[in-house]
Amino acid sequence: MTSAGKTTTSDEISLGEQFTAWWHRWAPTKILGEILTKRWIDNLVPMVGLVVVIAVFGSLISEFFTPSAIANSTRQLGEFSFVVLAMMIVMLAGGIDLSVGSNFALANIAALGAFNWLGWPLWVAIPAVVALSAGVGLVNGVLIGYLRLRAFITTLVTMIVVRAVVESVTLNFGPQISAGDVDSPAWTFLSEGQIAGIPFSFALLLLFAVAIHALLTRSRPGWRLTAVGGSRRAAHNAGLPVRRIVASTYVVSGALVGIGGVLYAARLGNGGNTVGVGLEALALTAALLGGNSLGGGRGSVVKSVVGAVIVLTISNGLVRLSVPQGLPAIVMGAMLLLSVAIDIKWLKNRHKLLADVYVSPGYNYLPPPPSCEPDSGTPYALNDRLRDVEVIGKGEIESPEDVILDRDDHLYCGTRHGDIVRFFGPDHKRSEVFAHIGGQPLGLAFDRAGNLLVCDGGMGLYMVTPEREVRVVTDETNRSRWSMTDDSRLRLADDLDIAADGCIYFSEATTRYEMHEWAIDGHESRPNGRIIRYDPRSGSTRTVIPGLMFPNGICMTHDGQSFLYAETYACRVSRYWFDGPKAGAIEKVVVNLPGFPDNINRASDGNFWLALVGMRSPAHDLALRMPGFRKRMSRDIAADEWMAPNINTGCVVKFDLTGRIVESLWDLGGENHPMITSMREHRGYLYLGGISNNRIGKYRIPGADPDWTGQDSYWRSRK
Amino acid sequence: MSGHLQKLRFRRGAEATRVVTVPPMDGALKPNQYLDDAQVVARQERPDNLARDGDRLLFSSGPILYALKMGAAAESATEVARFDSEIAALASDGAGGYAIGLDNGEIRFGAALSGVRSIKPDAPLAPTALAFGAPGRLYVCSGSVTNRPSDWKRDLVERNASGSVWSFDLSSGRGACLAEGLAFPYGIAPTEDGEALLVAESWRHRLVLIGARSSPKTGGRETVLDDLPGYPARIAAAPDGYWLAIFAPRGQLIEFVLRESEYRRRMMETIAPEFWMVPALSSGRSFLEPLQLGAIRTMGALKAWAPTRSYGLLVHLDDRFRPTGSAHSRANGSRHGITSCLQWGDRVLAASKGGNLVLSLGVDQFLGD
Repeated sequence: MTSAGKTTTSDEISLGEQFTAWWHRWAPTKILGEILTKRWIDNLVPMVGLVVVIAVFGSLISEFFTPSAIANSTRQLGEFSFVVLAMMIVMLAGGIDLSVGSNFALANIAALGAFNWLGWPLWVAIPAVVALSAGVGLVNGVLIGYLRLRAFITTLVTMIVVRAVVESVTLNFGPQISAGDVDSPAWTFLSEGQIAGIPFSFALLLLFAVAIHALLTRSRPGWRLTAVGGSRRAAHNAGLPVRRIVASTYVVSGALVGIGGVLYAARLGNGGNTVGVGLEALALTAALLGGNSLGGGRGSVVKSVVGAVIVLTISNGLVRLSVPQGLPAIVMGAMLLLSVAIDIKWLKNRHKLLADVYVSPGYNYLPPPPSCEPDSGTPYALNDRLRDVEVIGKGEIESPEDVILDRDDHLYCGTRHGDIVRFFGPDHKRSEVFAHIGGQPLGLAFDRAGNLLVCDGGMGLYMVTPEREVRVVTDETNRSRWSMTDDSRLRLADDLDIAADGCIYFSEATTRYEMHEWAIDGHESRPNGRIIRYDPRSGSTRTVIPGLMFPNGICMTHDGQSFLYAETYACRVSRYWFDGPKAGAIEKVVVNLPGFPDNINRASDGNFWLALVGMRSPAHDLALRMPGFRKRMSRDIAADEWMAPNINTGCVVKFDLTGRIVESLWDLGGENHPMITSMREHRGYLYLGGISNNRIGKYRIPGADPDWTGQDSYWRSRK
Repeated sequence: MSGHLQKLRFRRGAEATRVVTVPPMDGALKPNQYLDDAQVVARQERPDNLARDGDRLLFSSGPILYALKMGAAAESATEVARFDSEIAALASDGAGGYAIGLDNGEIRFGAALSGVRSIKPDAPLAPTALAFGAPGRLYVCSGSVTNRPSDWKRDLVERNASGSVWSFDLSSGRGACLAEGLAFPYGIAPTEDGEALLVAESWRHRLVLIGARSSPKTGGRETVLDDLPGYPARIAAAPDGYWLAIFAPRGQLIEFVLRESEYRRRMMETIAPEFWMVPALSSGRSFLEPLQLGAIRTMGALKAWAPTRSYGLLVHLDDRFRPTGSAHSRANGSRHGITSCLQWGDRVLAASKGGNLVLSLGVDQFLGD
């Protein structure tokens, strides 16, 4: 290896670079990406549309905001929204219902007929009308759900047939139906009544909107319906009764249309045969404009009501502006086309936009590292002391990130299959699966009672008792106050240590990425991680240090008041006091490491072992200072091709509390034990784990105390 | 039209065309392990240019010229000459005449391996490849106006295209420039009729034909093979076409870095060339070299298809310059940086400058699937 020579020459930070650092720290690029992950982002465009539409028509029409105009609008909105909700529910399950307009007309004349002509009391007439409309929906449902006919054609036929029925009824019985002179306060209340100042039909809509929203988002039938719309086949494979669910959406749709029809009948008493003509197109436009997907699986009550308001405002507004006849229909048609196009484009490109925006590299300046040259004279100088490491369990285990030994010299490690594997002491030739947790077990620690505590990437903090019982200790913490995303769930619990009082301090490496995406977090090099305390006495979990750069190893010092923690992408080790006079203070202990620190553990001589999982390279260090360069890299080339920290080579160093590096252990050839993420001293030997290894290493430490164990160091004597 | 529509899509416009793609190794370039399995002819530090002198193989290694008697078992290479500058290029005319290009720009030639004469051209040269044409005529590739051949990394990162091709009359020592403005010409071979020269234009990943009597003014340059998946180096004649040595692979990250001017500038200013994010003759020897995410060892193994800065590739072209077969040493191999090749009976020899070996492969491996 040749000298790093020139790497140490230029270390001034130009004004331009200072600005880069400042910009990438405070620019809202990260927030933007996180907003895009929100489900409500789908509603943003319709909401903006709504505001624009109201502003435009409000300014064009002078009496747009008068109380009477608003009252009239909200009554219309009540009726119309029921129809849009009906359309939305069918669309949510992946269908379409073109018969809503005819069905609406049917409900209208049925309600008028039952009330005016037959003289039924309201409590009989209304349920009968709703049942009739639901019956039309049932026909649709049976044909589409059970007989698997095409929704479009089937509801088109129903639309024509029902319209024909309505026309023949109005032709033959029009006068009887319309000429009602029954004086019923209840009937009048339907049209003119108010509840707390809100028109009745609108109040009823609010009631139904809340109920349907709860049903769709908080109940099993709602989830199932959405699942069927999202992927019919997946829902079927998951065991859902797809046919019944699809059929039932048409029945619900019919019933909602029926309610809308009754309200319309009560308001206008219009027995004409043009009622509800073209209503299906308006409802479809409203549903799509609100952001409900034509393909199913995406939709909500709020979206539907927003869409209904937009459509109603435009259509009424155009009429009030006395535009030429026919223009409103053309405008509506154009809007339907526009909303279909937006629906398809948005769904298709949303994840691309998110992928473009989400990864938000930060500025990470690392000073030129100390040399590791064999003849450099630094404590990091390369050597081959790990060349003759004894290998344990080669090929039997995969990804032992951390290793630990119990009082009986059994050796434990996690694997990427979610197992805790135990090698039997003292020779560690035989092994067994001690327990299965799932996820990727990372940091390990024994508590005073001999329970094995495990930080499990993807799952949280777990415990395995000596009786092999697996328990969740904690998997969530308090949500950060100003966080855009909900970061309370633990994503990547990494390493832990236990204080003398039993409190467990553990690191969560990142809150923005999953376990398998750790490299993207490294690419970002932002303070996305945190250290969390679990207090077994109160059972509470609280974040104690937020905003750390991939916090990794944690190790208690001997004073009982502080611990050391490593921040991998910041290449430093710091000390945090959780108790005593300096409680809350943080001091940097080792800075500017030549590699990326991982786990920290106690050494028998009172110092601390630190694993360097990988080494820094000048080209990568430079990239870390150029966030824009990394941003373009992540956007323009495949992730496999990204420049990465070199974690093919690592080493173990020993340091003391003043930050002095005492010694380092290397495997120069890298054949025997290439990468190291953790090391544990036990009875004169050092056991080495590595997350991308398929073995555990065992190194005899010259001159180490042959009786020293971690258990005695932490918990003194055997309990 | 569809291109315009694409640009409307979510303001991706310019970026849509920014996505880096490199041609895949496919068809005749389908990966194999022939280079990894090839027979070793010689082990020498950084062997570079190969040439034939009767039954002896000549090859350069740093400032030293070695000779190796072929056929005899377990013969070791002997030093025949040593120069005050690194040997950058080598050629022999097959009749005892030979020529050597040095890193300092000098070109020397002679009848036997003694009595050396120098050519002092008017323009400074950076000889990267030599070839004899008709008796007494030497063709020279000059890689760059500003950089020496050994500084090829800088020439690439500076994105220069200042290379040229020259024709020298050895009796008078007078040279004529045939073409200039080439992006690091790194290999040259006269066509069978001697009317044109096949030149490897390395930084543009292509082969061009240049008339043997053309000039920079008359131009006359024809691209015959484009979009290679690597950086071409020396070309050698084969009975039914040509051998082409590809000394390094193209990669998405490399191409990305090459268009990032700010990063390139700071990389050149602050980092030693061996640790630049550029193609290399060998890689993975130091942890100070840049690494790519897909090249992280998992369970002690490196994927053969991992992204890499160095690669071993030797290609056979037919007489219409179409690739017909290839030999590879992939990311997990070490016989990388093939800079030179030479037909020898029914074998083909290849210098792995990155793997410190001279290799020999059967020609039949390249023919037929």
